[in-house]
Amino acid sequence: MQRTQTYECMCLLDNREVKSGWQPLKDSVAAVFTKHGAEMLSARRWDERRLAYAIKGQQRGTYLLTYFKADTQQLTAIRRDLQFKEEVLRSLVLVCEDVPQHAFEPEAAFDVNAIPADDAPVMREAPPEPRDEEPVREPVPELDEEAKED
Amino acid sequence: MPRSYNNNDSGEGGRGGPGGRRKFGKFAPKKPLQFPEEPLDYKNINYLIKFVAPTGKIVSRKRTGFSGQNQRLLAQAIKRARLLGLMPFVWRG
Repeated sequence: MQRTQTYECMCLLDNREVKSGWQPLKDSVAAVFTKHGAEMLSARRWDERRLAYAIKGQQRGTYLLTYFKADTQQLTAIRRDLQFKEEVLRSLVLVCEDVPQHAFEPEAAFDVNAIPADDAPVMREAPPEPRDEEPVREPVPELDEEAKED
Repeated sequence: MPRSYNNNDSGEGGRGGPGGRRKFGKFAPKKPLQFPEEPLDYKNINYLIKFVAPTGKIVSRKRTGFSGQNQRLLAQAIKRARLLGLMPFVWRG
């Protein structure tokens, strides 16, 4: 039985991808929903902020808040596709009964160049693994020598 | 309430122990329920932070004064915020 439900989805996006282009990234994320027959109600940038903890080496991220209507049977596929998307670091899809009015307001202009540099600590490369050298073969005492001495 | 067979029990549900105040039972003072002033939403970080201890733990219902339902909603919102990186799991110092 087909049943349509309204959902809210908060996606945490990689700032490196955001800097290369906000609108194309937003469209690619929206395409994940429309691919499964969902109707996009709203897709707005919620905030760009420093994360409480590093996620995939990133200390800062941009949040995209979307509202959409979709068939309940398609939700699993939508969640799976969001996980596969590399630009989406984290995502949370929830049932939303009432879409707030501010979701339909036009999105404010967003300057990707104004995003502060990620001040994540430099990840040191692990030292190369030592190669296993061939073990030194110890000379096997010849039994014949003992026999000869006797 | 279970009967206490221990003669050394302070009986804080009965006479109320040395302080004379009952902590539970029919005659114990009832604390008024607190209601959340703002919606318990994972996006409402400034409000949720008030219910997080300095170590990052969720404050108990004893401290918040919320009803059981609201306490569960609070915990759910904080856990969702943690998942999205809006709040930390642990705070140091």
